[in-house]
Amino acid sequence: MSSPMALRTLLRTPPALRPLLLQTSRAAYHSYDHAEQPVYREAERTILSSALAHVPTHGFTQEALTLGAKDSGYLDVSTNLFRKGTFDLVKYYLVSQRMGLKDRIQFPDENIGVGRKVRGLILERLRANVDTGIVTRWQEALAIMSLADNIPASLRELGALADEMWFLAGDTSVDSSWYTKRASLSGVYAATEIFQTTDQSTEFRDTEQFLDRRLEELRTVGGTVSGGCTGESTAE
Amino acid sequence: MSSLSLRASKRFKATPPTFTPWVCHACRQRRTFAFTTPFNQQQPPPPQQQQQDDNPTHFGFETISSSLKASRVGAVFSSVASNYDTMNDLMSLGIHRLWKDHFVRSLNPGIRPTSGKEQEGQRILDIAGGTGDIAQRLLDHATTINGDTKTHVTISDINPAMLSEGRKRFAASPYTTADRVDFLEANAETLPTIESNSIDLYTVAFGIRNFTHKDVALREAFRVLKPGGVFACLEFTPHLNNSLLDAVYKRWSFGAIPLIGQVVAGDRESYQYLVESIERFPRQEEFRDMIKEAGFMVPGGGEGEGWEDLSAGIAAVHKGVKPV
Repeated sequence: MSSPMALRTLLRTPPALRPLLLQTSRAAYHSYDHAEQPVYREAERTILSSALAHVPTHGFTQEALTLGAKDSGYLDVSTNLFRKGTFDLVKYYLVSQRMGLKDRIQFPDENIGVGRKVRGLILERLRANVDTGIVTRWQEALAIMSLADNIPASLRELGALADEMWFLAGDTSVDSSWYTKRASLSGVYAATEIFQTTDQSTEFRDTEQFLDRRLEELRTVGGTVSGGCTGESTAE
Repeated sequence: MSSLSLRASKRFKATPPTFTPWVCHACRQRRTFAFTTPFNQQQPPPPQQQQQDDNPTHFGFETISSSLKASRVGAVFSSVASNYDTMNDLMSLGIHRLWKDHFVRSLNPGIRPTSGKEQEGQRILDIAGGTGDIAQRLLDHATTINGDTKTHVTISDINPAMLSEGRKRFAASPYTTADRVDFLEANAETLPTIESNSIDLYTVAFGIRNFTHKDVALREAFRVLKPGGVFACLEFTPHLNNSLLDAVYKRWSFGAIPLIGQVVAGDRESYQYLVESIERFPRQEEFRDMIKEAGFMVPGGGEGEGWEDLSAGIAAVHKGVKPV
């Protein structure tokens, strides 16, 4: 839309509604046209990412947060920037891994099915837990997330991850399966992640098999519920 | 026995002032609240300064000249100093202790054990900390929770009467012998004796609403704090989040608090001022924006609230971090 047109549209709008058009809020959907705005401010990102480096040794604790602050030139007391303390550290990890997922995985072959892509995305996200070295400490994070105060934010983040995965897998469904897909993927992901924290096998092979069994179950249930007609989107 | 009868007569204001010297004292203070007589008759401020600083400000529900506010607030706190902590217990039903405990615990003052023992302790500045109850908690937390025996608190107050209450509290304290606490009589809007970038933590609990220029005080806080230092403020809010609770609370604060002040401390006007000044304090959003304007980063990110409500929003904790 050219700018004179945009101006005309604006002037035709009732004055009370004009602020809505002028507002440049963050898109609540995946947009190719708008640059993503950073979720964290520079200082927060510096402290939290330095703090994550201390998680393998200190766990998701106030100590890791303090050491992160000191590493980035802040003081002990500067951790007051994080209202929820350790949960802010957990959430930063979740958000940064979710945002980073699209850079970790590429699908050169466009012909592989959505189902295989989703499987690849889940595995890639779980591999991030191993690469950053936090998998041994992840049970602490799950415990923090399960505190009553933190449950809503944790579930929202799980939902956002499921949404991100379906988006990256190229799913374009606009019917009620939009909801069932996200709900079932959230469930599968959460279960697999918990399994991963107790997995002792080499290169987390047991986790991979666990995931395959869960996806297989979904396929069966999805096929039965929809009478085998529309089950192919997950069955691919 | 005689003190008891004196106290009783003070409560009911039955004794004529000429018979007992202490009533004269109370009357003298009360006279400063006889709002029809201008306070500056006794101490006329320099005319030049008055010209510079003559913008009207509020003193409770009254509008007075800015140059008068500090002295009027000073008179209030001189009058309430000796009863201050008892009155807080009665007015808040003891809840102010919980708020202060939570405030200090969430700040987590003191150098943590993982940061290394060789470090020097934190420098904490407790503004409007007269009676020292926040300072006591800060030092206790640093010592017992974080095992830090070096952190030092400077208690600053504009009012010598409040500071002498604090001196009494710390007179027999081990913190005084360890030289971990000192006192400063200063106006928080200008702290010339405190160097820039020298303070780790700046706290002000139930004090900032009495400042004449809150924005100037915030900028001064920004100046004295080290990069990464924290500004923390515990203060009442003018309105509760829930309108029904707010109505009940307003009944309590305008009905009961001046009455308790009259009965216990023999001073209704000072407590009337206290509740009126709460009503005049900016809302949480506005105060958060004032903190941001002074240059601080507020917790909670861009879209987060940036403050924490206590007891359904009767009080709120505001924090700001000076960027590095």
